[in-house]
Amino acid sequence: MKIALEVDVLTNNNRAAAFNRQLFEETNTLVINIMSSPGAGKTTILEKTIEALANEFRIGVIEGDLATEKDAERIRALGAQAVQINTHGGCHLDARMIAAVLPQFDFQHLDILFIENVGNLVCPSGYDLGQQHKVAVLSVPEGNDKIPKYPTMFMRTELVLLNKIDLLPYLDFDVEQAKKDLSYIHPQSKLLPLSAKTGEGMDEWLHWIREGVARCKKQSISQ
Amino acid sequence: MHEMALMGEIVQLIEQDARMKNIKYVKKVELVVGTLSNALPDALQFAFDVYKIQEDNCLTTDAELIIHVEKAKAICTICGQQYEPVAKIAQCPTCLLPTGRMVAGETFRILAYEGG
Ligand SMILES: Nc1nc2c(ncn2[C@@H]2O[C@H](COP(=O)(O)OP(=O)(O)O)[C@@H](O)[C@H]2O)c(=O)[nH]1
Ligand SMILES: [Mg+2]
Ligand SMILES: [Zn+2]
Ligand SMILES: [Zn+2]
Repeated sequence: MKIALEVDVLTNNNRAAAFNRQLFEETNTLVINIMSSPGAGKTTILEKTIEALANEFRIGVIEGDLATEKDAERIRALGAQAVQINTHGGCHLDARMIAAVLPQFDFQHLDILFIENVGNLVCPSGYDLGQQHKVAVLSVPEGNDKIPKYPTMFMRTELVLLNKIDLLPYLDFDVEQAKKDLSYIHPQSKLLPLSAKTGEGMDEWLHWIREGVARCKKQSISQ
Repeated sequence: MHEMALMGEIVQLIEQDARMKNIKYVKKVELVVGTLSNALPDALQFAFDVYKIQEDNCLTTDAELIIHVEKAKAICTICGQQYEPVAKIAQCPTCLLPTGRMVAGETFRILAYEGG
């Protein structure tokens, strides 16, 4: 007997993502899923972001790594709440892993939730976690060719943070070419050069976050 | 690794459906896999072969996997041309501008299964 099933392979993930999204929307929480290869600077950017915004917003972080609590400990050292998910070999976070840790947060007292995905430029982009925004981090030492080489990541992220621009004088990374490559993969996406180390370019990123929070709050007023 | 987890999803979705229809075994599975879906046909076949020799699922040990590959396709929003994007996904080969809109290639679906 042949059965026509016609379902998306990620049906169960998408169901969990819809559950997460509803919770985020009901509580007006801005949720940002940050993806990159290992070492691009996700945790460092989060540390600097939390330092800069700690007096304005209540911030929570979900950290995804194969093993250890190291990144969550870095975030907790700044006084923000951080929950570590260890995927034990898994190469991405999925919406069910997120749903499982959400009860640990008090969403009535949270403005922003950052999700730091597992370091990997391939599959994390395929999993909807229920976030409003997907952001990629690309760092200068990774080289110019990563945007065209990993199109499935960059065609799904609306913002690319080009981190470690303090290293530009020592490496032959062409920022204009990267902008051009990104426009060919995903014209609506934006490349934002910054250095988490020196703070250069961080203001524009913080501005983007503030706008996102404002949008979330406005939705609650108009409802 | 990734494809093993995806095959786990596939087997689970098929078993959920088969249980409702009182189907005890599955001997054929058909998938549609887009070239931009991040799932590799060879790795899926390998994962399927691992699953089918295990006893704790509905797949028979000689079960067959059929993968229909869906090529990526984009349409230029200026000239309307349909093209298969390579690395410059949004670039229309005629207008040479990043004006393409993806219309195919991201699919990853279970089409059908056969069993009894
Ligand atoms: N030079 C430089 N190094 C950075 C910058 N941001 C992060 N790093 C370094 O890059 C390494 C990896 O950073 P980390 O935040 O752990 O990356 P993650 O794996 O993406 O979370 C660390 O040694 C950081 O100190 C930057 O803007 N400039
Ligand atoms: Mg990290
Ligand atoms: Zn994965
Ligand atoms: Zn055209």
